Amino acid sequence: MSRVKITEYRAKKLILGDSYTGVSIHNGKIVLPKSGRFVAKVDQGIKKRFKQGLVAVDGTSTAISKSVSLWRKKGFSHFLVEPYVPHEESEEQYLSLERVRTGIRILHASAGGIDIEAHPELVKTYLINPALPYTIVPGIPEKFLKHLVEVFEKNFFSFLEINPLVVRGDEVYILDAAVLVDSAGIFFVKNGWSEDDIVEGKARHIAEEKVQALQKTTPASLKLTILHPDGGLFFLLSGGGGSIVIADEAELNGVGRSIGNYGEYSGGPTREETHLYAREVIQLLLNSPAKKKALVIAGGIANFTDIKSTFRGVVDALSEYTGTLRRKGVKVFVRRGGPHEKEGLLYMEEYLKKEKLFGSVYGSEAVITSAVDDAIAFIKK
Amino acid sequence: MNILELTRKGRTKVLVIGNHSGIIQSMLDFDFLSGKDIPSVLGIVAGNRKAEKYFFGTKEILLPCYKNIQIASEVLGSKVDWMLNLQSGRRTFESTVSFFDFFPKSLGAHIFAENVPESHATELISRFGKKYFIVGPSGVGLLVPNALKLGAIGGVDAVQIKSGALTSAGNIAVGSTSGGMTNELIHAVARAGKRLSFAIAIGGDRFPVVSLTQIFALAEADSQTEGFVYFGELGGVDEYEIIELIKAKKFTKPLVAYIAGIIDEAFDEHVQFGHAKALVQTMDESARAKREALRSVGVIAPDTFPQFLDALQKLPGGAYTAEEMDIQPLQGRQKSILSTRKVLDIDEGRVFVKGKKLLKGKENAFVDATLGALLGKPVRSPVTRAFTEAVFEMLIDHGGNVSGAVNTMITARAGKDLVSSLASGLLTVGPRFGGAINEAARLWILGVVSQKTGLGFVAEKAKAGELILGIGHKKYRVGLADPRVKALAEFATLLKKHPHYDFARSVEKATTSKNGKLILNIDGAIAALLLDILSECEGMSERELQELADAEFFNAFFVIPRSVGFIAHFMEQKKNDEGLFRLPDELLFVREETPKKNKKK
Repeated sequence: MSRVKITEYRAKKLILGDSYTGVSIHNGKIVLPKSGRFVAKVDQGIKKRFKQGLVAVDGTSTAISKSVSLWRKKGFSHFLVEPYVPHEESEEQYLSLERVRTGIRILHASAGGIDIEAHPELVKTYLINPALPYTIVPGIPEKFLKHLVEVFEKNFFSFLEINPLVVRGDEVYILDAAVLVDSAGIFFVKNGWSEDDIVEGKARHIAEEKVQALQKTTPASLKLTILHPDGGLFFLLSGGGGSIVIADEAELNGVGRSIGNYGEYSGGPTREETHLYAREVIQLLLNSPAKKKALVIAGGIANFTDIKSTFRGVVDALSEYTGTLRRKGVKVFVRRGGPHEKEGLLYMEEYLKKEKLFGSVYGSEAVITSAVDDAIAFIKK
Repeated sequence: MNILELTRKGRTKVLVIGNHSGIIQSMLDFDFLSGKDIPSVLGIVAGNRKAEKYFFGTKEILLPCYKNIQIASEVLGSKVDWMLNLQSGRRTFESTVSFFDFFPKSLGAHIFAENVPESHATELISRFGKKYFIVGPSGVGLLVPNALKLGAIGGVDAVQIKSGALTSAGNIAVGSTSGGMTNELIHAVARAGKRLSFAIAIGGDRFPVVSLTQIFALAEADSQTEGFVYFGELGGVDEYEIIELIKAKKFTKPLVAYIAGIIDEAFDEHVQFGHAKALVQTMDESARAKREALRSVGVIAPDTFPQFLDALQKLPGGAYTAEEMDIQPLQGRQKSILSTRKVLDIDEGRVFVKGKKLLKGKENAFVDATLGALLGKPVRSPVTRAFTEAVFEMLIDHGGNVSGAVNTMITARAGKDLVSSLASGLLTVGPRFGGAINEAARLWILGVVSQKTGLGFVAEKAKAGELILGIGHKKYRVGLADPRVKALAEFATLLKKHPHYDFARSVEKATTSKNGKLILNIDGAIAALLLDILSECEGMSERELQELADAEFFNAFFVIPRSVGFIAHFMEQKKNDEGLFRLPDELLFVREETPKKNKKK
C-alpha cells in the first residue's frame, strides 16, 4: 500500500468533472483561443513549482506557448493549461483532506497561499467519520465539501490538498490541487484515475527503471534507488527492515558517501526474478569508477523467502560477469538466514571461493551487520 | 482474560483462507514440535478441491478444503478461534468480513496481504478493531510460543522453529514493523538465552488493525511478559505514542528498541512528507529524532544494531540453553503423490473350502447370471459358482499403486467423469497388468494338451526368452505362501482330477528350484483352477477351453471385479478432490540429450 501522486489535471478533472476546462498537454501542439488569459504549469508531480519558475500565471496564449516550449527545452514533458481566475490574495483559502485511522481528517485555513506552513495557528482540524454527525466546515459550501468527500472515497484518494481555494458564495475555484491516491485501490477504481495518471516515483536511472518494470510483473518486492554511482559499496539486500539496518551500519561507520545503491528484494521472489534484479546491481557496481569495490549480499532471517533459490538467482547473475568482477578485484560479502539457509549459503560460498570472489559468508547465527562490517573494512583498506 | 491467556489455554484452532503451503506446513510443524496431538489448522478455504495433503510430524494428513467460508462454518461450527487470511489484497476485505460474520465467536485473525487499500483497512478497524484481535494487513503474523503460530512469523522451515526456540515460552515480547526483522529479533532473543512470551509483526502498512499502542497495552497486561524488544523504522509517529504510554505509566516494563533509518541522512533529498502532516504534527519522523525521544523516557535505544543486541542482556529472564529437539524426521519428507483408501484387505486369506467341503457362500444371483451370460449357458455346479464368487471378491482391488488404479485416480483428479476414469483404468489391462490370468490359462492349456513336463516346459520358455505368466510374486515366496493362493488351492480338493492345476504346480516346482520367489501366483492359480473346474464341473472340452482363452474369457474374470475397485478409487478421489494431479519435479527424471555447455568465457 503506497500513496502516489497523480497529475493535477486528473485531480481537477475528477473533482470538477466536465465543468473543468483545463487541458493536459503532452507531446501535442497547444491550441488556445486567441483572447483570454491562461495559467500554465509543469504537471509532473514536481514540488515547489512556483519557486522553480515552472508556473506561468495570467498569460496570453502566445506567452503560454512560449513558457511551455521553454519548459520542454528543460526536459519537461507534461503540462497543464487552464483559464486564469483573477482573484485577490485575501480570498485564498487552504483545504486538505487526508485519510487517517478514524476517518477523513480535514484541515482548513481561511487564509491560504504558499506561505500557509508559516501560520499553523490559522489551521483548524475536523474529522469526517460515518459514525459522527455530519461535519460542517465554516467558509466551505456544504454541497462542495460533500462532493469532495464522495470523490475522495470513490477514487481511493489518500490525500487531497487545495491551496489556494477561492470561494465566492456557492462558487468554488480550485486554483491548485494535489492528490495522492492509494495505489492499492487501482483495482477498485472505475472510470477514475489509472496507471497513466501517476506521476510520482519516476525512475531517474535506467537501472531503477528496469527494476520498476520488473516489480510490476511480480508479487514479490523489488526496489532499487541509486545513491552514489561512484561508490564502492553496493548492496543486494533483502527485507524492508533488514535492508535499512544494514545500510544504517554503513552510514554509522562513516562510509555513507561510498554507498552506491539502496534497495531490497523480498517477499519470495523466484530464482529468475532474483537473477534479473541482481544483474542490475552488479552492473551498477561494475560501472562505478571506485578503486575498491565490494558487493554486500545481506539481509535478516527470512520468514518465507527461500535462500537456496534466491541465491541461485544471485549466482546466475554473478556468473554473467565473473571474469570482470575478478579482474577488478571485487569481493563479495554475505550474511543471510531463512528457509534452506544452510544449502543456500554453502552453494554461495562454494561459488565465491571457486571464482575467487570470496569476502565472507555468514548465516543466521552471526549478527545481521557482519557482512557489511567486513565489506566496510575491505573498501577502507 | 486477555487474548494471550486465551490462546495459551488452548484457543488455537485456525481456519486458513487462501493457500500458501509453506506457511501452513510450518504451522503444522510448530504444532507437532510443540507436542500437540492434533494440528491447529482445521481447514482451508480454497476453491477447486476438497482436500490438500500436509504432514503432521512424519505422518501425512489430508486437510479439508472448503469452497467458501459459509460451507466451512457449516462443517466446523464454532470450533474456529482464528483466521489466517492469505488472500491477495484486493480480496482480503470481503473474506475478512465474511469470516467474522460466520465465526462471530472467534478471537481474531492475521491478514497477510500487503496491498490492502487504506480505506478497506480503516473500515476493518471501525468494524472489528474493538472486538477482535487482527494482526495486519501485512506483516507475518502472531506467535504465542508453544501455543499458536499464526502466519509465516518465525520462519517456515523446521530448522527455524528450533533455532528461534518458537516452542518454548518465556517472558520477552517482540514487536516489529518489519516482517523480516521480527524473525531477526526472535532469533536475537533466542541467542541471548531468553525466550518469548509472544511476538507480533505489526506490518508496514499505514493502518494496521491492531495498533502499536494496543500491542504495548497487551504486553503490559500480560502477566508472562517482563520485557519488550521493539524494532521500528523512520517515518510515522507511532513511537511517540509509546512515549506517551510510558509517560502516563501505562507501559512500565523494560523496553529495548532499535529505530532504523539513519541511512536516510545519506540521501540527497529527504523523503518529503505532505503538507497536512507538517502542519498537524510537529514531531520529527526521522530515525535519529525518534531514538532520542525514546531515550528521554528511559527506553534503551542504541545507535547501532550490535549495541542493540548487547542491550538485550539487560532484559529480565533466565539463561536458557539451546533447544533440544530432533527435527531430523521433519526434513526431507517425501510427499506421497496420490492418496487413496484401502478398498480391500489384499493380504487376507478367506476360507472357501474346508475338509474337502465347499463352505456355504452368500447367495449371489449376479455371479450366476454373469457366468451364464459369459459362457452362453447356465452353470451347473455350485463349485463353479463359489469359485467365481471367491475370485471376484479377491480381485476387486489390489491397492492404489497398480497401473489401472493410478490411471483411474489421475483421470478423476483431472476432473473427468466416472466412465472416462474407469475406462482410463481399464485401458491399462493387458500383457503387463491384469492380463496375466488369460495368458496363464493359455500356457496351462498348452502344457496339458502337449503333455509336457513342468521342467521341460520351463526350459523351453527360458530358451525362447519368454516369461511364464502366472508365476512369480514380489512379496511371497517358498516358505511364505500367498494366503489367497492357499485359500483358492483348496478348491482342487473338490475335484476328482485337476490336470491344469497339477501342471501349473509342476511348472512352479521347476521355477522355484531356481528362485524361491517364482511361485505360482494368484493369476496362475485362478487360471489353472478355473480351467479344471470348467472342465470337470461344467463338462467343457479342452477345445472349448482354448476358445474361451482366445476370446479372453479369463481376462473378464479380472475386468469385472476390478471395475468395482476402480470405481471405488474414482469415488475416493472425488470425495477428497485434491485438484489436478501433477508429477512433482523430484519424481521426474529428465534425461539430458547433450551435456550442458560450459557457459564461462
